[in-house]
Amino acid sequence: MTRRALVEALRGSAHRSLVDGGGMVVSIAFYVVIVGTLSGLWRVAVHANGGELAGYSAVAITWYIITSEAAIVSVNARHIEDIGADIAQGTVAVELLRPASVLGVRMATEVGRGLPKVAALWGAGAVVAAVVAGGPPRSATLLLAAPSLVLAIIANLLAQHAVAAIAFWIRDAGSVWFLYLKAVFITGGMIIPLELLPDGVQHAAMLMPFRAMAYAPARLAAGYWEPMLFVEQLVWIGILGVVASAAFSAGERRLQVVGG
Amino acid sequence: MAIRARRLTKVFETGRRRARRRIEAVRELDLDVAAGERVAYIGPNGAGKSTSIKILTGILHPTAGGATVLGLTPWEDRRLLARRIGTLFGQRSLLWLELTPRQSYRMLAAIYGLDRAAEQRRIAELGDLLEASGLFDQPVRSLSLGQRMRCELTACLLHDPEILFLDEPTIGLDLVAKQRFRELLVRLNEQQGTTIFLTSHDVADIEHVAKRAIVINHGEVIYDDEVAAMRRTLLATKVVEVGLVEAIAAPTQAGVTLLEHSDQVLRLVVDTNLTPIRVVMDELLDGPAVTDISVVDPPLEQVIGEIYELPAR
Repeated sequence: MTRRALVEALRGSAHRSLVDGGGMVVSIAFYVVIVGTLSGLWRVAVHANGGELAGYSAVAITWYIITSEAAIVSVNARHIEDIGADIAQGTVAVELLRPASVLGVRMATEVGRGLPKVAALWGAGAVVAAVVAGGPPRSATLLLAAPSLVLAIIANLLAQHAVAAIAFWIRDAGSVWFLYLKAVFITGGMIIPLELLPDGVQHAAMLMPFRAMAYAPARLAAGYWEPMLFVEQLVWIGILGVVASAAFSAGERRLQVVGG
Repeated sequence: MAIRARRLTKVFETGRRRARRRIEAVRELDLDVAAGERVAYIGPNGAGKSTSIKILTGILHPTAGGATVLGLTPWEDRRLLARRIGTLFGQRSLLWLELTPRQSYRMLAAIYGLDRAAEQRRIAELGDLLEASGLFDQPVRSLSLGQRMRCELTACLLHDPEILFLDEPTIGLDLVAKQRFRELLVRLNEQQGTTIFLTSHDVADIEHVAKRAIVINHGEVIYDDEVAAMRRTLLATKVVEVGLVEAIAAPTQAGVTLLEHSDQVLRLVVDTNLTPIRVVMDELLDGPAVTDISVVDPPLEQVIGEIYELPAR
């Protein structure tokens, strides 16, 4: 498949996301309410703890929350369910009729859909953070957080495709998305910075890919100069890419044998 | 030869352990379609049409037998074949609903490796051929089904396929849109030499588009002949339904069989090999009592039933 095909898929879906002004406004409104409430709660906790909690100041934790939420909310939470339905209803079988990788086009389309959304959400979040807590703790790490957010979206979507591929075998991936989302919420550091989790859960979270989807960009936006997080994201993207490709290839082979 | 299948077989296994069941969807199918032909590939629900089309387009692996499409083995050379065939499944859209058709074509052109100049030239050509240029910049959601199908056809022809596989392409279209779509398929075949391989439940699709009809049932070919011959032998009967204000005498010409006769309704089957439909219509319309009249094709199931009654070929 040519690079142009992926670029066009990405560009086309980004355009669709942008022209859906109503959907974008609703997402931003929902996101602002969530980050406004959640970061307010965390600031209360930080102040109650003497102005610092596990190393996070009130400003740092606010920037953490607006970034972790933007990373997750910009990706369709029930994408696993949608992919599963497409597999079960034969849509993926028809996609096999194109001379292109089913996974490649789907990934490019979803990343394209997520990019304008994450830019809009993070922009709105930055305004919220600046108003309620103050400017970013560190400009240099904030710059690194921007590409890290893109990697977070890619990692999340690859993981969702890898998980959703079970629909090639069990025909109903509908219930899996709920478990997946909870894993991202907790071990991905979406609502609680990983440093605040109990030791056991924290260690488990360090070994899982979910922290590449929220914690990594959020930690960078909170002002921590930890470029290894960036490298870690790239490694997880590599691993998840291999797993998703293998799962889709095996699933497509199965579809070709047992029908769709 | 555009399509060749030999002893093509597909068996699905369903259920588990003791309840395991084998379903022979396609049974030792032999098929030859020459380049440039217009073939109707028909049969009742569950006959194996869609399964065999999926095998011929590379979506499914057969259980046994072989097939080549444009010299390629579909399930082994799926992506290579996809560049040379077009597929249109009536209930599956090739277009992205949130985009305009032109935006979808740009994505498809990139997938099929067309450069921008070729893409624009092809869109202009197809717009003229299918009389659809005015639709390409409207959101897909705002198009009527007939308009959308013309845009879908453009999408599946964008890469200039040598064979067009159409599975129930007229489903859901109104009568005018159906007729227009059929004319477009014939024009496409005549002007560009595209091989048409069509499945449909609509007898009129077969009569107006195809030159040859292949009928399958239970996964096997049970009839393969020119549509003209099929028309003489199997599609010669028409059902005439007449609405009445008062009872009239039923026509008595040769080949006219009465199905229903009351004060309000008269239903007849007319064998047009024996009496032209116009003669029967003229007689009925001469009377003052007729309020409504319609002529319909026999359902495909009836045609297939008649095939089973034919002497062995």
